[in-house]
Amino acid sequence: MSNQKKRNFQIEAFKHRVVVDPKYADKTWQILERAIHQIYNQDASGLSFEELYRNAYNMVLHKFGEKLYTGFIVTMTAHLKEKSKLIEAAQGGSFLEELNKKWNEHNKALEMIRDILMYMDRTYIESTKKTHVHPMGFSLWRDNVVHFTKIHTRLLNTLLDLVQKERTGEVIDRGLMRSVIKMFMDLGESVYQEDFEKPFLDASSEFYKVESQEFIESCDCGDYLKKAEKRLTEEIDRVAHYLDPKSEEKITSVVEKEMIANHMQRLVHMENSGLVYMLLHDKYEDLGRMYNLFRRVTNGLLTVRDVMTSHLREMGKQLVTDPEKSKDPVEFVQRLLDERDKYDKVISTAFGNDKTFQNALNSSFEHFINLNARSPEFISLFVDDKLRKGLKGFVDVDVEVILDKVMMLFRYLQEKDVFEKYYKQHLAKRLLSGKTVSDDAERSLIVKLKTECGYQFTSKLEGMFTDMKTSEDTMRGFYGSHPELSEGPTLIVQVLTTGSWPTQPAVPCNLPAEVSVLCEKFRSYYLGTHTGRRLTWQTNMGTADIKALFGKGQKHELNVSTFQMCVLMLFNNADRLSYKEIEQATEIPASDLKRCLQSLACVKGKNVIKKEPMSKDIGEEDSFYVNEKFTSKFYKVKIGTVVAQKETEPEKQETRQRVEEDRKPQIEAAIVRIMKSRKILDHNNIIAEVTKQLQPRFLANPTEIKKRIESLIERDFLERDSTDRKLYRYLA
Amino acid sequence: MDRIDHLFNHYANRSSSHLIDPEGIEELCSNLEVPHTDVRILMLAWKMKAEKQGYFTLEEWRRALKAMRADTISKLKKALPELEKEVRRPSNFADFYVYAFRYCLTEEKQKSIDIETICQLLDIVLGSTFRAQVDYFIDYLKIQNDYKVINMDQWLGFYRFCNEISFPDMSNYNPELAWPLILDNFFEWMREKQA
Repeated sequence: MSNQKKRNFQIEAFKHRVVVDPKYADKTWQILERAIHQIYNQDASGLSFEELYRNAYNMVLHKFGEKLYTGFIVTMTAHLKEKSKLIEAAQGGSFLEELNKKWNEHNKALEMIRDILMYMDRTYIESTKKTHVHPMGFSLWRDNVVHFTKIHTRLLNTLLDLVQKERTGEVIDRGLMRSVIKMFMDLGESVYQEDFEKPFLDASSEFYKVESQEFIESCDCGDYLKKAEKRLTEEIDRVAHYLDPKSEEKITSVVEKEMIANHMQRLVHMENSGLVYMLLHDKYEDLGRMYNLFRRVTNGLLTVRDVMTSHLREMGKQLVTDPEKSKDPVEFVQRLLDERDKYDKVISTAFGNDKTFQNALNSSFEHFINLNARSPEFISLFVDDKLRKGLKGFVDVDVEVILDKVMMLFRYLQEKDVFEKYYKQHLAKRLLSGKTVSDDAERSLIVKLKTECGYQFTSKLEGMFTDMKTSEDTMRGFYGSHPELSEGPTLIVQVLTTGSWPTQPAVPCNLPAEVSVLCEKFRSYYLGTHTGRRLTWQTNMGTADIKALFGKGQKHELNVSTFQMCVLMLFNNADRLSYKEIEQATEIPASDLKRCLQSLACVKGKNVIKKEPMSKDIGEEDSFYVNEKFTSKFYKVKIGTVVAQKETEPEKQETRQRVEEDRKPQIEAAIVRIMKSRKILDHNNIIAEVTKQLQPRFLANPTEIKKRIESLIERDFLERDSTDRKLYRYLA
Repeated sequence: MDRIDHLFNHYANRSSSHLIDPEGIEELCSNLEVPHTDVRILMLAWKMKAEKQGYFTLEEWRRALKAMRADTISKLKKALPELEKEVRRPSNFADFYVYAFRYCLTEEKQKSIDIETICQLLDIVLGSTFRAQVDYFIDYLKIQNDYKVINMDQWLGFYRFCNEISFPDMSNYNPELAWPLILDNFFEWMREKQA
């Protein structure tokens, strides 16, 4: 190793620090400052991006980040202050344009500046946690321009004015609006909300408050709703075009509140144009509009529903309690069905099949149908009419539709057991007179009733059908074993099982000889094959077809009741008979006989008998003779009718009484059932449970339930608890 | 014991069976100087636990007189006020009230008493304590047509009514509760009168 002189030769660690020229920072900054000026003055084309970037980079490198940052802020601020003066100086319409223009310029400048200062953005600002360039640019704009007192209020008012203009129908520059409002959005959500949105909503609220008041004073309901809908659409459109999407919900809330919520009651109840008017006149479009608008506000639909419900109840009540309308039961029920169809259509067309409205419709119908105690009877009569002739010519599907509608009404009835009683009576008449249009339809309805109410409801009804079938077989057997009877009058017998058919007291009557002979033959035939049974002829329920020959050779076939037959046959052996003679010969009870004679002698077109004197009523001193001059354009003349009719007052009372009697054991059975399982129960709960159990059949009266409880106490089924009077105890 | 039996025989000697019969009771009443229809006779019957109306057996007689420590008519007479006090004690009165009803069931299997008898019974048993309620209720019973007889449940119900319901305002009466229906009807009738 040579002993060499030490050289000053060192390899030193690489240092960023370069000997700095103190003026270096200032110089560099000046370059940048100048550049910023040029950028703002739209004079940036001559600048070299690369050079400026490097300068900024160097400043930060040499730890002059703060100077750079501060400089940038100061410079930009100065520029913005200048700009705001210019904006403020703008007159009228150009104010907004100026603002917009300057904003766009600023944005462009800011971007360029940010690009230049990017190194500072990423290092110095990052580490010192200061605001980044771009956001700072926005903040500066906000503070120096937007919040500049001379601009701030004017800007807002200008914008609101434009909105107002547009609302009154003028066309405004939407693009400009969008730009300016986007500026707010860019400046931050709180700026948008505080400086624009909130005042916008307040102003809108005022506007709509006034407008809605004007409209409500001058428009009818339908028109008002149209206008409200239009305004809503406009506002949604406005948001889409130049507001923040988040504002949509807020502005629509304002419109909904001012135009709908605040005037809800008045609109709905408006005379001659409100909800009731719309319902009555099937204004589907208006109703649909009301539904869509009202569902937007709290309790909107509730209000509509309530008004509809009370209208339905009122209308229904008038319908069912109007004595005029109760004159024809079939029409009464048809009217109910028509109303139900009408409102069904309203709900499906205009209310979107809303379930709550369906429920309101049902509960209203249930309420008023039961206001008329004859509803069960009338519904049965309606069904009777349909099954007799109303369904003639109907296709199966249509039949089902009508029966389903009837079932719907049936479901509304509280006193289903009353319906059952009448239905049975009417069915019996239909079956016995052979007057049912379609066996299938009858069966179909029974099935529906069974599905609804269970087997017990329909088992007796089904028994009636079985009897009819069995009787046919019996008749075949009878004539089969008595071929000699094929000459002579034909007897058709229906054998009815007593328990299944509505009970009728057997009425005495002397049958003509040729008929009673046949009857006796049948009786012995039947009892021969069915020992231990008892047969009773129901002479008040039968019919007869008689061939008659009148004075001038007129031949007719008369369809009459059994009683009428007995009377007419007497005239084969006598020309003239007195009332007393007829009474004695036939032994028909007086009231039935009088009715019978009246139908034979006093009805125009059917008077096969003449009466002396020619008065309207049958008197016990009257005498009768055949009307030899009788004419009818028909060969077959129908005189006796066994058509089901609306009951007379006394008949109605009687049926009602029977229903009440039938209810007593049902109530007691329910009480016993409940007490047997619960052992001890208090008064209110018993009433509630019993009512609930019986509800599918009828509405139990609490007083009646109490009576039954007391009766059960007396018969030692129940006892009162000795300490707590409200409790009942089951006695095994 | 002998004297009690002896006293018994005095009143029982008229009947063929060894009982004090209605005539005997009548004599007893006049000896006690108490009216025949007085409530105290009924109370005496209660004390005896007499089973059949109008008749006292030896056993029943002994039961009462022994308890009342009376073996002569005058002692029995003196013991009557004490007996009344005893019966009117709340713990005993309910029992007496029930007894009074049962006592009037003369036929086997009879469960109810006709209106007229009930009216008399109410007067005797409750007349002194619930004069107003009894008078109004008797009025009502005579007018109404729903019930021809009264059963034990209704009889008891009325007693509870007198004890619990303020009268005549009946402001705390609720017909929707478990009161017997006849009282609900009475309540309605009273309300109509007051309107």
